[in-house]
Amino acid sequence: MKDLHFTATTSTPDVDANWEAGRLRMGGDSYPENSFDIFQPVIDWLESFLTTETRPILLELSLVYLNTSSVRVLMDMLDILEEAHQGGRGVEVVWLYNENNERVGELAEEFKEDCTFPFHIRAE
Amino acid sequence: MLTPDIYALRQTFMQERILLSFNGPFTESLIDEIGSALREHMLALVESPSAITDVFSMYIEMTQNIRRYTMEHDLQGAAASAIIVVSRDSDGVYTVSAGNMVYHADGERLLARAQSLQEMDKVALKAAFKAQLRQPRDTSKKFNGAGLGLIDMARKATFPLRATLTVEDTDFSFFSLHASL
Repeated sequence: MKDLHFTATTSTPDVDANWEAGRLRMGGDSYPENSFDIFQPVIDWLESFLTTETRPILLELSLVYLNTSSVRVLMDMLDILEEAHQGGRGVEVVWLYNENNERVGELAEEFKEDCTFPFHIRAE
Repeated sequence: MLTPDIYALRQTFMQERILLSFNGPFTESLIDEIGSALREHMLALVESPSAITDVFSMYIEMTQNIRRYTMEHDLQGAAASAIIVVSRDSDGVYTVSAGNMVYHADGERLLARAQSLQEMDKVALKAAFKAQLRQPRDTSKKFNGAGLGLIDMARKATFPLRATLTVEDTDFSFFSLHASL
């Protein structure tokens, strides 16, 4: 499987999936009206990595604003990671946010509540 | 030939303390553009990043819900024309309002949904949000939302959501929603 790169648009985030490094990065705003379609390739990449490789996976987020359908998609991704973690896979999530926007920190905390793998939320 | 009374229109905008509004068919690019203008306007008013995120989020959820409904039912002409208004009172409370044409039964359902959310406190709203987040997606619908928009608005608003329904004709009612924070 190859790497995945999406350049940010007004309503979609930067996506950088690096197979060799076992790392998926997403950053910026996410509020497309068709989030499920937009993020399907990212979900496919994630599932492909987890079924093909045995190496750990790192999800690095610097997302800012998410509409509710993006929230739903991100929760689906975290559920996939949770299942992998339960199966013994090394999983880690890091969410970086600007300390001036506490809404992002609150959103990240809410996602973290449902995850048992290491989930670091860092204000910068 | 029309001569719109723009003075009266302006008076209304001033009285209602409207910062920004659009009336007509919503398109994706239009929603993005007006949204960017809203953020810039709030930045110029030196609002906090959290306040900007909250107001922007209300705006996005309302307009995208309307877009989805209009596309799902393939509404055309006057039925596809919707309105979005952002206003700010003298205390700095923002109100995001939106209205669109809905079939009578859908209007009743929406009104009941908004009213049920009015009665919930923040803890109940969070539980409702998480429960909805875990609902299986309805993949039978082409223009599928996550069903989270209204709950999300109720959670972010600092006042209960206000909704009204006005019968327009034999098919449609006008559904309006106000969220303040």
